Amino acid sequence: MSEHDLDRRKFIWQSGGLISAALLAACNSRGPKAADRLLKYAERKNRGLETALFRHTSMDVVQGGAHEAGNKLPAYFVSRTVPVWNESVRGKWALEVSGMVGNPLRLTLDDLQKLPQVSNRVNHYCVEGWTAVETWTGVPFRELAALVKADPQAKFVDFQSFDDDYHESWDIESAMHRQTVVAYGLDGKLLEPAHGAPARVYSPVKLGYKNTKYLTKIVFMPVMNGGYWSDQGYEWYGGV
Amino acid sequence: MRLTHWVNVLAIIIMVGSGLRIFNAYPAFARKGEMFCCYPFEHKPIPAWLTFGGWLGGARHWHFAAMWLLVVNGLVYITFIYLHGEWRDLVPRKGDVRDSWQMVKFYAFRRKDHPHQGKHNALQKTAYFLLPLFGLLAVLTGIAIWKPVQLAPLTALFGGYVWARYWHFLAMLAIVILSVVHVFMVFAVDPYSIPSMITGNYNPEHSPEARNARPFYHLFPKRVTAAPSAPAPAEPM
Repeated sequence: MSEHDLDRRKFIWQSGGLISAALLAACNSRGPKAADRLLKYAERKNRGLETALFRHTSMDVVQGGAHEAGNKLPAYFVSRTVPVWNESVRGKWALEVSGMVGNPLRLTLDDLQKLPQVSNRVNHYCVEGWTAVETWTGVPFRELAALVKADPQAKFVDFQSFDDDYHESWDIESAMHRQTVVAYGLDGKLLEPAHGAPARVYSPVKLGYKNTKYLTKIVFMPVMNGGYWSDQGYEWYGGV
Repeated sequence: MRLTHWVNVLAIIIMVGSGLRIFNAYPAFARKGEMFCCYPFEHKPIPAWLTFGGWLGGARHWHFAAMWLLVVNGLVYITFIYLHGEWRDLVPRKGDVRDSWQMVKFYAFRRKDHPHQGKHNALQKTAYFLLPLFGLLAVLTGIAIWKPVQLAPLTALFGGYVWARYWHFLAMLAIVILSVVHVFMVFAVDPYSIPSMITGNYNPEHSPEARNARPFYHLFPKRVTAAPSAPAPAEPM
């Protein structure tokens, strides 16, 4: 056996050990800090690609045979208890639609229900990986935008809530998608506090966390305005 | 070309680790309010030490960044292997099934001598041919569950979101199994190939066929010197 062979064997064990050590160090970690900029760059590029892929004509379709989630739909909010609008303290609930609009409005639940209504049976795509089928009833966002005479320069829209400081801003194109509704009904009944009463935004073109519940304001904006989860590091675009 | 192998190692480790961390946010396949037929470990998370990314959002960033590394690297590999003609070492040919069976028999001690082979043995060839296919499946099913609304036809091709997510998981599993077996065989049968994965040089005298090597058998090369009884040739003065 030559010296060469010994070197080779040493090399094999050393490289094996090195790779194992690197793997163990990487396990369950967030990865090297140095990669953060690269990851941010990738997210920006991916957002560009997702924006380019977006089509108003791409519709979410529920698969034949899929069952309604019903009471298996997870309820979720960021306040400590279910957020409920207290009329005796805050007065009658109304949704403010404002920002870059020609005709800002305050709409009560009655007002919303008098506007053109749609019911969409669609999938809910959660960032965690689960889906749920539900029927959402409400006003198409595009009807609201027309009603308030939204400025075409408003490329973003912020959905704000009374669930602490929860809000999420969207690109206007996703908001104008036909399946985006300001929903006050779920599965044929008025929305319950667990799922965002009195009204929430609902669209299958965005992941669950982008769909703000417990709405108070819809603000048309020239720039994006982050969001509750987006600011904590989830993708801002969150498109489906 | 050899570089793509090591980039692939990195890409697969990041993709599998971050993918499992994403999976752990909902370690099940059933739509809410339904059951899923075909996964026995619904709602049982993957051990955290096998995951990478630290948290769901972080793992998603890693997954959606490293997917480009995987895809670009895969395309470079396919291009190189096509231009260099090395695809010929990997495409299935008539007799591969028979030869694979002979390799299985050899490894199971049902056959004494190592079957004759080209660059790769028949089992190896099958594995190296399948790996890129599973990679392609992983990428396509991945896109299908990334954009199930905007690319709905692709998602529908895999049976809808729930099933596409399941195929994505199985493609990952297949890649992991092939990789683990590959690494095991490298160390147990042909550790001499490790330097060649970096330098490209390979001494055929150390090949498993030359050594008649099974896992952990005949790890050391046969003595190439002549039989000890043979008299030393006389040196000319």
